[in-house]
Amino acid sequence: MANEHASKQYDLDLGAIRTRVLQMGGLVESQIRRAIDGLASGDLAALEQVIDDDHRVNAMEVALDGDTSHLIVRRQPAASDLRMIFAIAKTVTDLERIGDEAQKMARMAKAIHERGAAPLPPAVDVRHAAEAAIAMLRRSLDAFARLDCEAAQGVIRDDAGLDAEFRAILRQLITFMMEDPRTISTALEIVWIAKAIERIGDHAKNMAEYVIYIVRGTDVRHTRSPQPGA
Amino acid sequence: MSAVHRKTLASLAAVAAAALAIGLIAGASWGWGFFGTGLGALLFHHVRHLSRLARWLTDPARGQVPEGTGSWDEVLTALHRFERAAARREKDLAEALARFRRAAQALPDGVVVLGAGNRIEWSNDKASAMLGLDLRADVGQPVGNLVRAPALAETLGAQGTQELVIQGELGARVMLRLIPYGRTQRLLLCRDVTQAERVETMRRDFVANVSHELRTPLTVLVGFLETVRELKLDPQRQRDYLGMMREQAARMQRIIDDLLALSVLESSPLPAAGRVRVRALLDRVLADGKALSGGGHVLSLEADPHVDIAGSEQELASAFGNLVSNAIRYTPPGGKVRLSWTDGPEGATFAVEDTGVGIAPEHIPRLTERFYRVDRGRSRESGGTGLGLAIVKHALARHEATLSIESAPGAGSRFAVRLPPQRTLPALVAERREG
Repeated sequence: MANEHASKQYDLDLGAIRTRVLQMGGLVESQIRRAIDGLASGDLAALEQVIDDDHRVNAMEVALDGDTSHLIVRRQPAASDLRMIFAIAKTVTDLERIGDEAQKMARMAKAIHERGAAPLPPAVDVRHAAEAAIAMLRRSLDAFARLDCEAAQGVIRDDAGLDAEFRAILRQLITFMMEDPRTISTALEIVWIAKAIERIGDHAKNMAEYVIYIVRGTDVRHTRSPQPGA
Repeated sequence: MSAVHRKTLASLAAVAAAALAIGLIAGASWGWGFFGTGLGALLFHHVRHLSRLARWLTDPARGQVPEGTGSWDEVLTALHRFERAAARREKDLAEALARFRRAAQALPDGVVVLGAGNRIEWSNDKASAMLGLDLRADVGQPVGNLVRAPALAETLGAQGTQELVIQGELGARVMLRLIPYGRTQRLLLCRDVTQAERVETMRRDFVANVSHELRTPLTVLVGFLETVRELKLDPQRQRDYLGMMREQAARMQRIIDDLLALSVLESSPLPAAGRVRVRALLDRVLADGKALSGGGHVLSLEADPHVDIAGSEQELASAFGNLVSNAIRYTPPGGKVRLSWTDGPEGATFAVEDTGVGIAPEHIPRLTERFYRVDRGRSRESGGTGLGLAIVKHALARHEATLSIESAPGAGSRFAVRLPPQRTLPALVAERREG
């Protein structure tokens, strides 16, 4: 893209913004990981830290929003650059929501461990789903860094698998709740965590769609292709 | 005067001399005419060579410098030599670079070369695998765009040599070291420390566990000592207290004995394999078990008298004895403990079956960890040190034997030791008659 611009400073500005978006992604990813580790270990201080650190994610969102609108006003970008800036603005929103989901997971995990409740067996499946969601987030951020359409399409396909895992966890929890009503409150909290993970997958999928939009200029949201497994 | 000048002047002089001669013989106009033609030919010669040189320069193919005649010969030969030297230098450099890259690939650690703005210039395969880089696509990309650990982002902004540990690909823990060199370059070294961290955690846990296990009886001991020293007690009570103190001291001794046994199993070479008379050994194990049970359990032994084992009698005795004492301790009084020793095509098997409390499936893989306990209180009550199964595991590993555990809560347990066929020996005939 460097050739399309007379101004080198412009490229530097845009590159710096992209790097910061990706750093925000890294922070959000570590938030999810610490929340899910905290669920497994019961380390309340670590969970507390995740809840507190959400403000860092929010601060990055505010700063990046300011910088993108600044860039639009000053440089009046067109064509692929305008698409890039649109995509950055939307990616930032999705990342901020993922941060909120991580915070939600930490809250629920904290509630479970503060009550001293015994963890239910689906905790293992929740961990597995969380790893899958983290992998999706990682790959969509990689695709954004490399502007790699194929990787982005892979992320979009994987979302269906994560949704299926969420439904399986839900069925399992329903069985537990029916067998032993004492597990209901813990099971409900695990449902919230699983739902948050499923939402993280959706946001990662959105981000992958923006990558395709940047590169191809086509909007693949809400379309039937690419089919799962296609 | 250079060779080019000399040759040019010589050819001009030759044309002029020939023209003069022709002019003298055939008249001035013929002379001038020849002179003009000669100059034209010289010009043509130069233009032709110039155009060939120009053509080569637009696409300088290696080793194909055009050849020339006359004054061009000097120039083009020099160019040819220069070009050959350059080609050789280029090849040397390429080889040196390739050697250097091969060396960097062979390093045990990952290496990423970062240029200005922390952009990736090169990385070896190990670094690419650990950090999820793809060198075909990622050259020129700021490294922070792909390795997004928040700790790295902070470190990249700092000066000097830095060290940090981040979460790498596939759950690995990766230690990164940033070393500045040159004006803007930095070297990013990465090493997989997953295993090292795990070992460190195990060591810390082990030390914490040992201290905890020894402190508990010691606290009780100190408490009783204070009581006996400070208070006037009647002789009966004093005897009771001393008895309890003895019990705690004995427990500490058992823990230390077990720890020493474990360290011997881990560090000493395997003693020369002798014949272990399994039948006799099991009779002793059974007698010890009956003593431990105090008649509370029904113990039985079914042993094939025809198989012996090559190995260390003392280690096998301690492994089998630990399995039997575990079975007795985790079986409520009145329960049954059945010992069996059988031979089969896949080796000999010693099994201990009980009708005890059983073990939940999630605990089974961890039972042989040191100080791992399913139920802490219960195990201590019954006098366990938490090291028995660790000793069993180590002693069996030294005999190429495997331990399999089948159990369910409330349904009793079966611990089976399988010794491979190369370890079994037919029992001596004389022995059989005696037995």
